[in-house]
Amino acid sequence: MQLSTMRSRYSRRDFLRVGGASLGGISLPQMLAASRGRSDVSCLIYFHTGGLCQHDSFDPKPEAPREVRGGFGTIPTSVPGVRFSELLPRSAANFKRFSVVRSMYSLEAIHEKAKQYLFSGQRPNNAYKHPVYGSVVAREQGNRNGLPPFVVIPRKDICADAGFLGPAYDPFIAGDPSAEDYSVQDLTLPTGLGLEEAQGRAGLLSALDARLEKLEKSSVVGSMDHFYQKALDLVSSPAAKRAFDLGAEPGRVRDAYGRTTGGQGALLARRLIEAGVRLVTLFHGGYDTHSDNDKSNKKLYPEFDQAFSTLLEDMDARGLLDTTLVLAMGEFGRTPEINHSAGRDHWPGVFSIAVAGAGVPGGQAIGSSDAMGAAPRERPISIEDLGATVYRKLGIDTHKEYHALGRPIRINDGGTPVRELFA
Amino acid sequence: MRCLDLKLAVAAFLPVSAAHAAVLIEPAGIRIQSPGQSQRIILSGGSDCEISSGDPAVVQVASNKLVARSPGSARIAVHCAEGSTETTVHVGETGSAVGLGFERDLLSILTTKGCNSAACHGSPAGQNGFKLSLYGADPRLDYEMIVNSQAGRRVSLDAPETSLLIGKPSFQVAHGGGQLMTAESDEYATILEWLRQGAPYGVSGIRLERLEIHPGERVLEGPGARQPIVVVGHLSDGTTRDMTAEVRYSVNDEAVISVDRDRGVVAKGAGMTALMARAMGKAATSQFIVIDRAHGGSFDYPEPANLIDDHVFRKLRSVNVEPFPLIDDRTFLRRVYLDSAGILPTPAEASQFLSGTASDKRADLIDELLQRDEYSTHWLVKFEDWFRNSQYYSQGRTNGSFKRWLHDSIRQDWAYDETVRAMLTAKGDTTVRPAGNFWHPAIDFMLKTFEVEKAVPTITRLFLGQRLECAQCHNHPLENLTQDDFYGLAAFLARTRVKHGYGQYRRVWYDDWRGEIDHPVTKEPVPPQFLDGERPAIPAGTTRREVLADWITRAEQLQFARATVNRVWSEYFQRGIVEPFDDFRSTNRPTHPKLLDALARYFIDSGFRFKSLHRLIMNSKTYQLAAHTPDRPGGEHPLEDALFARYVPRKLPAEVLLDAISQVTGVAEEFKNYPPGTSPKALIASIGATHFLTTFGHPRRDIMESRSNAPSLGQALQMMNGDVLAGRTSATGFVLDALLEQGLDNREIVQALYRRAYAREPDQAEREMLEAYLAAEIAAGRDRRQGLANMLWAILNTKEFQMNL
Repeated sequence: MQLSTMRSRYSRRDFLRVGGASLGGISLPQMLAASRGRSDVSCLIYFHTGGLCQHDSFDPKPEAPREVRGGFGTIPTSVPGVRFSELLPRSAANFKRFSVVRSMYSLEAIHEKAKQYLFSGQRPNNAYKHPVYGSVVAREQGNRNGLPPFVVIPRKDICADAGFLGPAYDPFIAGDPSAEDYSVQDLTLPTGLGLEEAQGRAGLLSALDARLEKLEKSSVVGSMDHFYQKALDLVSSPAAKRAFDLGAEPGRVRDAYGRTTGGQGALLARRLIEAGVRLVTLFHGGYDTHSDNDKSNKKLYPEFDQAFSTLLEDMDARGLLDTTLVLAMGEFGRTPEINHSAGRDHWPGVFSIAVAGAGVPGGQAIGSSDAMGAAPRERPISIEDLGATVYRKLGIDTHKEYHALGRPIRINDGGTPVRELFA
Repeated sequence: MRCLDLKLAVAAFLPVSAAHAAVLIEPAGIRIQSPGQSQRIILSGGSDCEISSGDPAVVQVASNKLVARSPGSARIAVHCAEGSTETTVHVGETGSAVGLGFERDLLSILTTKGCNSAACHGSPAGQNGFKLSLYGADPRLDYEMIVNSQAGRRVSLDAPETSLLIGKPSFQVAHGGGQLMTAESDEYATILEWLRQGAPYGVSGIRLERLEIHPGERVLEGPGARQPIVVVGHLSDGTTRDMTAEVRYSVNDEAVISVDRDRGVVAKGAGMTALMARAMGKAATSQFIVIDRAHGGSFDYPEPANLIDDHVFRKLRSVNVEPFPLIDDRTFLRRVYLDSAGILPTPAEASQFLSGTASDKRADLIDELLQRDEYSTHWLVKFEDWFRNSQYYSQGRTNGSFKRWLHDSIRQDWAYDETVRAMLTAKGDTTVRPAGNFWHPAIDFMLKTFEVEKAVPTITRLFLGQRLECAQCHNHPLENLTQDDFYGLAAFLARTRVKHGYGQYRRVWYDDWRGEIDHPVTKEPVPPQFLDGERPAIPAGTTRREVLADWITRAEQLQFARATVNRVWSEYFQRGIVEPFDDFRSTNRPTHPKLLDALARYFIDSGFRFKSLHRLIMNSKTYQLAAHTPDRPGGEHPLEDALFARYVPRKLPAEVLLDAISQVTGVAEEFKNYPPGTSPKALIASIGATHFLTTFGHPRRDIMESRSNAPSLGQALQMMNGDVLAGRTSATGFVLDALLEQGLDNREIVQALYRRAYAREPDQAEREMLEAYLAAEIAAGRDRRQGLANMLWAILNTKEFQMNL
């Protein structure tokens, strides 16, 4: 329905005219921007692929036996009485900018299922695949400033797509910004092709397609048209180009985030949010420490600490934090007891996440886990609750239903927004 | 003796095609429970009718209903100007209310409303002291919790309306979970009735077994036309009950009809919709088509080529929709190459076909294409989608052998029932017995065990066109599919085992001699039971799987053939005769039931051979209708797609598009670890395939889903900027270099590219436009080759190229 509205409002003639002149000032993105959802709140998910260890991060257990508390000490945070692992000193100092939930639990212990669960707020089942938050946001609120609404860094993940909503709401894949020769796939014109030349051939394409104008009523044709328009906008939009151009950041800023996938990914995510992307998911891998937990965490957690803290400081300084929900989380926690390979295995029983921005009061440790870090002790928070929180923050009705596959499907299965995360 | 005659005004609901219809009284087979009750009736197919009772002391005719007076039987006769009919009505002695039970009726409501989900009362802690078992896993406990615990505060048998059990979900009392139902809803009525019956655990008394809605289908002419409706409930004591006023009605497309229990159906606008009636967990549907005579006129319908056209054109005629014109040879050529073999015709093939003069050259071409290897590789990809041949499950070692096995089955046109039986009963090491790979998607890849719950819905969807996955967790809210059906079927697989052999990538399937599956609710072992309720004996020396495979493929029950032909049909027409194509339900009716059965019988009679089915479809005029037409008097008709009045344009699937790009540009795609020139269809697909293929909808096959063919931003960006096109302009063998080398002028090059890409000649307007474009490119300082390359880019980006029309 939306597509036909678009088509009637902006005829092919307009498309050609505007498309051809978009460098000159009139911008199709601006015309398109006005037609969609109103929410201004964006979302940035820093994802710990594999599962963050609650003991080594936001919920240390210094009183527990050695085989549970692990090899790291604890440090105070900026909030008296709350301690983090010594691996996160900068996060500890920044605690006023975010809160942690220490009593999250999942019901899935396999990566794929647990990720699917966490990213969609819906327990995976054999009947259908639920869209993830980014896809729901793309569908409900559309694009802003001509940028894709949902971007994934660095690469495609089978648990971050639109499921039954279809590929129109799949994420745009940004690539790995920590690579030396980073550029976004398919976003820039082929080498040697000028913008004016590209617009010329796009004009020819339009003219050739006009022969089949009679077919315009078919929804497939309409939607192909729609995406060609958007693609051309994106390619010819200086704003989009700028958003993906990490080279535009001063070297000291890039250094401050860290020259890692996590660091550069977080920086790119910030740039994208700033430019108008609604939801960015950054996958930071390496957290699946089945063996040598301490050895890998010693290297990995400080990377996260640096990227996450710099991100929050930077976004705060730029005023972005007020309108961006920032989540740092993994698909589950890790086993309380260290295994025979000095690792920790999958543990959905309880885990910790960090939440900031979009009106989330900072400095709170919400809920708690038991003495071993094995189960919620107070205030268990389900993934459905987290889902309801995300949707409410983003201005999406948590009771919304889609009708797909011959049945109604709720976007959120009865979760309750976590009240402590609302001021 | 005729004591009471009544003239009924039936003209208002005469079906449009009155010529075909006989006088009909509905419903038939009425068995009224007891004297005093009545049954509404509908007459159709006649005018100026008289209706009379053979024994008014037993059944009396009153207005539009039959009233039972005393036990016995009476013949009801109808005499109209057009003819006569009669039916016998029985009246029983005593009546009793339809009983409701907790497990059957209440639990399904609690489950479908999410009350017992993990996030609500099903969570380990419950909510506010009210705790239910997750998805109704423990009904006894739930019953205790609802009826007896906390001194029975949740139900009030004295004043059922005040029970928290209905007050909370309907939000008459504040409820943390929000409003889940209204006081007008079915669910509310069911719960209230159950409370009034004393909140029993089991079902006592009579049950409603099924609903029937009359008329089952009807064509109404013009907005405002009316049709009375009657709903009959069939009860477990063998009697029937007029439930016209006791069901909840809903209409799929409210722009087509409106419905009201007293006034019946009123036509609103042209279209087709289902009318659904629901009560006590049962449902029935009826199909309504509203036509607008404004579309009318005496249209030309092509002479039917085969049984498909007979049914499709008859239906179009009955609803007064004009089919699109038949296509010319050029359009046919490109269409049939792409649909049957997934390739473009070469310019040489095109000119050979177009210059042919035989009157049956289209049929000959179809036969020829079905013999080509491209036909089998094209359909192989579809089979791999159906059977989810994915590296994810087999870890990369045997999906190649499965692929080859499926390829053989298509190339050699094996009887499909045999192929399916081979998969369902497969045993042994899958590297040497590839059919066993069929079961791999049901392996839990962490635990390396066979998961029956994953296999059951796969089997029903693939082979019976029925979706049973919902019934794993709850009885289907609208269908007669229950958890018992799910586990009855699962029991056939309870002894299926897999072990992981040498080198961990090998899988060996076998059947254990023991093993049962427990019902999740009763915790009792479930005996194997077919979906029709039959519990077969398992003969000695036979595995349960073998018995199941025989039942599924049993020709006489048609469902296997129906599901299969409907799946193939939807590949050609972009929608099934039942749509979605694998969702056969009583509430999801076929648009052409007779065609579906005729195709199923044809498929069976051909020995379950796909080639003969393909041949039948592609030779039909229905398949050879245009996708678009410049002059369509009256504009588009809302029913033209659903009734197959045209060929619905579709995007080329990922592999076909990539092959077509290679074909036109003369540069093959290269895949890592494969020899140059390998078609993407030959890839042994891992999760993810390549960037291009996944972006264009190559499915991961990790879950049951049909391949998505929807456009996306990523696709547009790929075509615009991606390597797949840009990389080819500099590759050796690039078509433009060859054409330039031949010394062709621009006009000839344009013609050559058109033939390659569209299998047609450019028209005058296109020629002028392209020449003007090239001139402008030269003027802008581009060399000729670059200008032509940009032109080719535009051609490959057109919808005409990227679609089959």
